[in-house]
Amino acid sequence: MTTDLDPGAHALRAGVGDVLLDVRDLRTHFKVMDGLVKAVDGVSFSIRRGGRLALVGESGCGKSVTALTIMRLIDQPPGLIAGGEIMFNGRDLLKLSDQEIRKIRGGQIAMIFQEPMTSLNPVLTVGAQLTEAILLHQETDKKGARRIAQTALEDVGVADAKRRLDQYPHELSGGMRQRVMIAMALSCNPALIIADEPTTALDVTIQRQILELIKDIQTRTGAALLLITHDLGVVAETVDDVAVMYAGRVVETGSVEEVLLHPRHPYTRGLLESIPSQGKRGKPLSVIKGMVPNPFRMPPGCKFQPRCPYQWGECATGEAPLISLGEGISSRCLLHDPRFRDRLAAYDTPMGDPA
Amino acid sequence: MTQPASLAPSPAAPDAELPLIEVEHLKTYYPIRAGIIRRTVGQVKAVDDVSFQIRKGEVFGLVGESGCGKTTLGRTLLRLEKATAGQVKMEGRNILAFKGDDLKALRRRIQVIFQDPVGSLNPRMPVSDIIGEGLMAQATAENGWADRTARDKRTGDYLEVVGLRRDYARRYPHEFSGGQRQRIGIARALALDPEFVFADEPVSALDVSIQSQILNLMSDLREQFNLTYLFVAHNLSVVQYISDRVGVMYLGKIVEVADVADLYAHPRHPYTVALLSAVPDPDPRVRKKRLVLHGDVPSPAKPPTGCRFHTRCWLREQLGNPEQCSAEDPAPRDMGGGHQVACHFAEQVSKSVASETIHGVIASKTQETGPVVAGA
Repeated sequence: MTTDLDPGAHALRAGVGDVLLDVRDLRTHFKVMDGLVKAVDGVSFSIRRGGRLALVGESGCGKSVTALTIMRLIDQPPGLIAGGEIMFNGRDLLKLSDQEIRKIRGGQIAMIFQEPMTSLNPVLTVGAQLTEAILLHQETDKKGARRIAQTALEDVGVADAKRRLDQYPHELSGGMRQRVMIAMALSCNPALIIADEPTTALDVTIQRQILELIKDIQTRTGAALLLITHDLGVVAETVDDVAVMYAGRVVETGSVEEVLLHPRHPYTRGLLESIPSQGKRGKPLSVIKGMVPNPFRMPPGCKFQPRCPYQWGECATGEAPLISLGEGISSRCLLHDPRFRDRLAAYDTPMGDPA
Repeated sequence: MTQPASLAPSPAAPDAELPLIEVEHLKTYYPIRAGIIRRTVGQVKAVDDVSFQIRKGEVFGLVGESGCGKTTLGRTLLRLEKATAGQVKMEGRNILAFKGDDLKALRRRIQVIFQDPVGSLNPRMPVSDIIGEGLMAQATAENGWADRTARDKRTGDYLEVVGLRRDYARRYPHEFSGGQRQRIGIARALALDPEFVFADEPVSALDVSIQSQILNLMSDLREQFNLTYLFVAHNLSVVQYISDRVGVMYLGKIVEVADVADLYAHPRHPYTVALLSAVPDPDPRVRKKRLVLHGDVPSPAKPPTGCRFHTRCWLREQLGNPEQCSAEDPAPRDMGGGHQVACHFAEQVSKSVASETIHGVIASKTQETGPVVAGA
C-alpha cells in the first residue's frame, strides 16, 4: 500500500523506528450542561507496524472515545480535544484538515464497530456500501470496485459473495454482518485496523469465528490492530500487548502475559480476581468495592484510590504518573514509586489465582 | 456493599434431591402469520419437547446462544408465556393448569430477575412503589401488605438485604447505577418471599467488577432464603461459578444436562464441546485447541431434520456424515450419574476431545510486532 509519509516530519521524531501510531497524553473532554466531562484525560500508547494492542477497561473508562478521537469522529462542540497528539505515520492526525483526514479515515485507518446492524446502512445493498469506500480511496471504476468488493467478501469467508453483494443488511445474520464490516474495513488495505468491541454483540461460537478471522487477516495483511474490548479473555487470545484504562487514563501497560499474569496495578488485579472461574466455585468472588467515579466528581489524587484495597494517605494527595518499569511495562500507581518500596513488597506477596 | 458472608454453592443438602420443578415434554410454539387474514403459515418452535427437573435448593444453570429458547423456557415456567403442550409440575401439581387463587398464590412463589436493569424498572415510579406494587397485589389478611406502612417497612428491609440504604426507597431508578438497579430488581423479587427465582441473564449487562458483586449477593441470598434458582446466561464462566447443575440448549431442545463439574470437565454433546472450546480464557498460558463451528444457528422456524445440530456438527463430519444424524431426532439418554445427552454418538465425543486443552507457558512472542508504550 502507499503511504503519504512525510519524511521531514518523520525525521523530527528520532527513535520512533517502526512505530505506526503513537498517541501521547491525549485529552478529549466534553462540555455538557452539568459541566465538563474529561472522558479521556491522559492516554498514551503506541503500536508498531503490524503490532496488536488492546485497550481494555469497563464501560465509561474512555476506551471508545479514544478510538473515535483517533478517527477524528468526535463532534466539536460538544467535544473538545484539550491536548495531546496522535502521530500516525509521522503526522499528527489532530492537525490535519478535514479533507486530509477523510483520505486517511476508511483508507489507511479502518474501523470495525461493535454493532454491525446499526453501523451498516439498512437501505443500501452490501455491494453499494462496500464499493462506496473503494471508489473513494482507490483509483478504479465501478466495475473494478465491485470486483474488489467481491474479493474482499470472499477473503472474510462469506460464501456466495457475488449474491451477497446485492443483498441488504437485514438479510444477513449477525456474524455475517460483522464479516461484511470487516470486508469493508479491509477493502482499502489499511495500515491500522481499529476494532471497537467487534464481538460483544455476537454469540460465543460466532465470536470465535470472528476472532479467528481478525487474527488471520491481521497476520495475512500485516495491518496493525487496535482492539477495544472489556473482555480479558478476548484480550488474552487476540493481541500481544495491553493498555488497561480506568477513568479516562491508561493505568497499566505491558505484554499480555505480564499484565494478565502479573498485574502491576491494583485495578487490573481487582478485575482479574473478580472474573468467575472454575477454581473459585464455592468461594465468594473477590470484588472491587464501590463503583466507577462520577465524571463530575472525580476523587482527588489517584482516580482508583477510593476503591483500592492497597491505598494509603499519599494516594489522595497526588496522582502517580505512568511509571515505566521497563520492557514496555508501566503502571500508574504510587506503589511503583521507589519511595514506597516496602508497600510494593506487601502488594507482591499475597497473590491469588491470577485467572 | 455486601459482604459475602457464606459459601456459594454448597454440596447438596439432604432434601436437595427432591425436585421442586418438573418439566415434562414442554413445548412453546409461536405462530407465524401471513397474508391479510393473518393465517398461520408456520410455527417457531422456541421450546420443543423439553424435559428436565430442578431440585429443591439448587441453582440450575441454562446456557445456549441467543435464540435457542432459554428465555422462552423460563418465561413459560413462570406462566408469562402460554405453553403449547406439556406439563410443569411444582410439588407434583401441574402449574400450567392453575387458575384463580391458585395462580395468584403461585405468582408470589415464583419470581423473576430480569436482564436489563434499566428497562425492567418503571422510570416514573419511586423504588418504594416498584417494590411495593407486588406486595400490594399479593396482600392478604395474614401478611398485612395492604397497609402502606407495613409495605414500606418491608421495602426498606429488603433494600437492606440487597445492600442498599433504606431511604433509597424514595428515589427513582435513574438515580442509580446499573449494579444498584439490579439490586433493586432482586429486592423486588425477594420481597414477595418466593421459593423459586428465574434469573434471566441477571449479570449480562453489568461490568466485570459489578458482576462479581451481584453474583456474590445472589449466592448469599440463596443461602439466607432457601431459594431455588433457574439461572439463564450465555456467559459460561458465570454459569459454571454459580450453578449446581447445568442444561445446554440448542434450537429449542435441551441437548445435555449434568452436574456442573461433570459437564465442564467431560462434555458429552458435540455442541457443548464446541461451546466450551469457544470461550476465551483470560489466562494467557491456556491455549485451547479450538473447535470453530461453521455457519450460523439455523432458524427455529425451519429447524433441520433429525438432530438439530447436525448441520454444524464437527463430530458428524469426523464420523463421515452418518445418515442417522439427519434422519432421526436423538432422544435424551442417561450416560450415568444423571448426565443426560441427546446425541446418537455421544460415546465418540470423549475420545475426540481427550487432548483438547494444552496447558503450558507459551514461548515469548516475537518482539518485532509488539507495541512500545510511552511512559509519562
